[in-house]
Amino acid sequence: MKKKVLSLMLAASMVFGLAACGSSDTQPAAEPAAEPAATEETTAAEPAAADTTEAAGPDERGMQDGKFVDTRHITVELYDRNVDGGTEAGNNAWTQWIQQQMLDRYNVEVEFVTVSRWDEATDINNLLASQSAPDICYTYNYSAIQTYANMGGVIDLAPLLDQNKDLVPSMFDWLGEDVIYQDLDPNAGTLWAIEGKRNEICRINTFIRQDWLDKLGLEVPTTKQEFEDCLVAFKDNADTLLGADASKMVPLSISYDVGWRAATLIESFMDPAITDKEYYVNGYDSRAFTQNGTKEAVRLLNKWYNAGLIWKDFAVHTGDDTTEDDMIKAGFVGAFIHNYDYPFRNGKDSINATLAAQFGDDAKFVAINTFEDKNGGYNKYTYSNTGDRKVFFPATNDEPIASLCYLEFISQPETIKFLQIGEEGVTHTVDASGAIVIQEPDEAHHDWYQNSGKNIDMTINCNGLRLDTEELTVQSLAFAYAEVDPADVQDAIKVALVDAKTPKTPSVGDIQAETEGTDLDGKRDQAYDKAVVASEADFDSVWDLGMEEYLAAGGQAIIDERTAAWEATYSSDNL
Amino acid sequence: MSEAKEKKPAYKPPKQKLTKTYLKRYWQLYALLALPLIYLAVFKYLPMRYIILAFKEYKLNMPLSEMPWANVRGETDALKYFKQAFGNVDFRRALWNTLKLNLLDLIMGFPAPIIFALILNELCFKRFKKVVQTIAYMPHFLSWVIIASLCSQLFAPTDGLINSLIVRMGGEAIPFLDDPSHWVGTYVGAGVWQSFGWGSIIYLAAIAGINTELYEAASVDGAGRFRKMWHITLPGIKPTIVVLLIMNLGYIMGGGFERPWAMKNNLVIEVAEVISTYVYKVGIQGLKISLTTAVGLFQSVVGLFFLLAANTISRKLGERGIW
Repeated sequence: MKKKVLSLMLAASMVFGLAACGSSDTQPAAEPAAEPAATEETTAAEPAAADTTEAAGPDERGMQDGKFVDTRHITVELYDRNVDGGTEAGNNAWTQWIQQQMLDRYNVEVEFVTVSRWDEATDINNLLASQSAPDICYTYNYSAIQTYANMGGVIDLAPLLDQNKDLVPSMFDWLGEDVIYQDLDPNAGTLWAIEGKRNEICRINTFIRQDWLDKLGLEVPTTKQEFEDCLVAFKDNADTLLGADASKMVPLSISYDVGWRAATLIESFMDPAITDKEYYVNGYDSRAFTQNGTKEAVRLLNKWYNAGLIWKDFAVHTGDDTTEDDMIKAGFVGAFIHNYDYPFRNGKDSINATLAAQFGDDAKFVAINTFEDKNGGYNKYTYSNTGDRKVFFPATNDEPIASLCYLEFISQPETIKFLQIGEEGVTHTVDASGAIVIQEPDEAHHDWYQNSGKNIDMTINCNGLRLDTEELTVQSLAFAYAEVDPADVQDAIKVALVDAKTPKTPSVGDIQAETEGTDLDGKRDQAYDKAVVASEADFDSVWDLGMEEYLAAGGQAIIDERTAAWEATYSSDNL
Repeated sequence: MSEAKEKKPAYKPPKQKLTKTYLKRYWQLYALLALPLIYLAVFKYLPMRYIILAFKEYKLNMPLSEMPWANVRGETDALKYFKQAFGNVDFRRALWNTLKLNLLDLIMGFPAPIIFALILNELCFKRFKKVVQTIAYMPHFLSWVIIASLCSQLFAPTDGLINSLIVRMGGEAIPFLDDPSHWVGTYVGAGVWQSFGWGSIIYLAAIAGINTELYEAASVDGAGRFRKMWHITLPGIKPTIVVLLIMNLGYIMGGGFERPWAMKNNLVIEVAEVISTYVYKVGIQGLKISLTTAVGLFQSVVGLFFLLAANTISRKLGERGIW
């Protein structure tokens, strides 16, 4: 009898256990519509609730004196960069500060939802599909947001901003009407996302080992030919430069992401007189794949690759593999092209600080201009200062007003300033000239460690230093990197701005074709990589085949629709 | 064959009626059986209703039943996504690669554990046998991400251990990872390496079940090692081999995701892209849910046909099927 009871209980408990697992697993997927419907209800219900209160009570938003009467709860996306020696992305002194501020100012509880910086697109896709995306999301990729919007997954911000403009004065101050409404579709009148702004527009630099040049008695190269000669000299003198490690010599290193990692070279092959229209039409892709001139730039890379001047293994390491960084830090690499401040990033772990620690202060990368364009200048592009990360509210956001309050809070100058530089003595000092000098917090204040430089992941609509005055900002830029020589940073900024053009951002509405391509980024990288490693004789056919596949997979449709949209909006080829 | 003929008049259990006494006596067994059935229903059968997404336009904010049928500018075309898939060069390539890589895996990977089990069975030193077995099992417990990074450490064009050894000895580096045909070899080799040890367990168990008297009788008749292997061991494990072969044929259109995903790179993508990675890239990363559901459905249906066909053939040949 006892045995029977026991087995019955066992069986029953397992059945319930399984059933519980099953239902909790399937429910969110089973009722996707329930939540958006609820959203409308709550927003609709708010004014009704407000009506019943007395005149002195909360307004129709449920707010009194700019503060919610009942505590609201919102979730906010935050990149997790999984930094070595960093802090927990969603729970550290900075996030706690934001949470406290939001609670004090608006009576809004903020919960951070962390997504991997490197898989953010996939993570957000999954969160959206499971109806659990954070109330405030951001991404760099507008066509992704457009895809979500086509699937009914995004709130139209146009009416929301219309009704609540008074709540977000700082956001309008900071971004301005042009940026805020940049993605407004002129036909449908919808606004799926609010663009952010870049306050540092420098984009990409070419870097070379200064100490290697000195050791070999070479001048800093100023043309492509001189640069190539330097690479050859590095290769031929590997024994002098690396001794026992001579076989590890890599004169120029790139990664699988050729479009980015050869950008200065590619842009030097583009026509400096290119029209805004042409740049825009081929500019879907920040990797300039379809721009005129790119092919010739890659042909040069291909020549260098076949001459043994480029890292042979670049294409087999993908994603966030650190092999290349490790190689640069170990001192095996002579030159590379990357983000304008790449050797300075990450304090003690930065490339230049690591090199200095091993080989002395002379060992460092410096930024150079060496790829001349057809006019003899150094044609290159900066970031556009309007349009950076794009903030959007998923359809599951049932606190759009509180979310707007968050955008207001995060746009205020004091908020941005504090998040970027923190407290004096902890994360920065002020030097004699008044410039802000960023430093890593000591052990006791480790919780104030910035997981992203200047906390750019938290200042979601401001990318780059933004201090009280523009002068102070410019003055402090070079001091924003701990543990490296500010003079090198200053140089890198200067170099990045020589002959640099800032792309104009037209406002022509949504391009549907951008949501329809299949794996365009992948195709682009594959075409780039294969063309670089092809034999010189095969280069043309390999490149053309890659281009053909890219265009067929949706690239051509984007170019055509962009052309049509431009022609429908503007009468001239230049803005 | 003679064995199979003997089996023909199969044993039929007497029919049991579902009487009260029967249920009273055995209800516990049925209660236990219910658990896996519920598991299957909840996790395998319930999700199947989402197959219909292959014929609908996926929406983030609607229940399944309200999502509109697949349409081209408003005109309903339920097969739109199937047409799109088959019109897509990447899908066709992924389909072909899936078949090719799985077939190679089957040809190279299927006999390996059988041969290994036969060799192990012939070892006389028990201790040595145990050690070899344990070492051979180990790779099975490594995830593909680890194996892929092992591969890139060992086989990278210049930094890899093997190639730097070859170059140092005056040879020419072998493009294990960056040349498509070499990559296929590396891929298949890594697969065999990872699974042959683990796969041999089931054969060893089958071998252990063979009546030792058969071996003794064969020895008396003067049979040597290879004769015994060929005439006793192999026929003894034949049913196991056939069942596993059928199951493997069922996977020929499927196959895991981690292995190709972790091992691929941009230079070999034309041989490395398989259906599972294509579905992930386009469906999950690119949020084309309907298109990739269609692809997945197609894959499952073809896989099912392979399985049914293999089963039928094996029954025709007189072996036991899996059902």
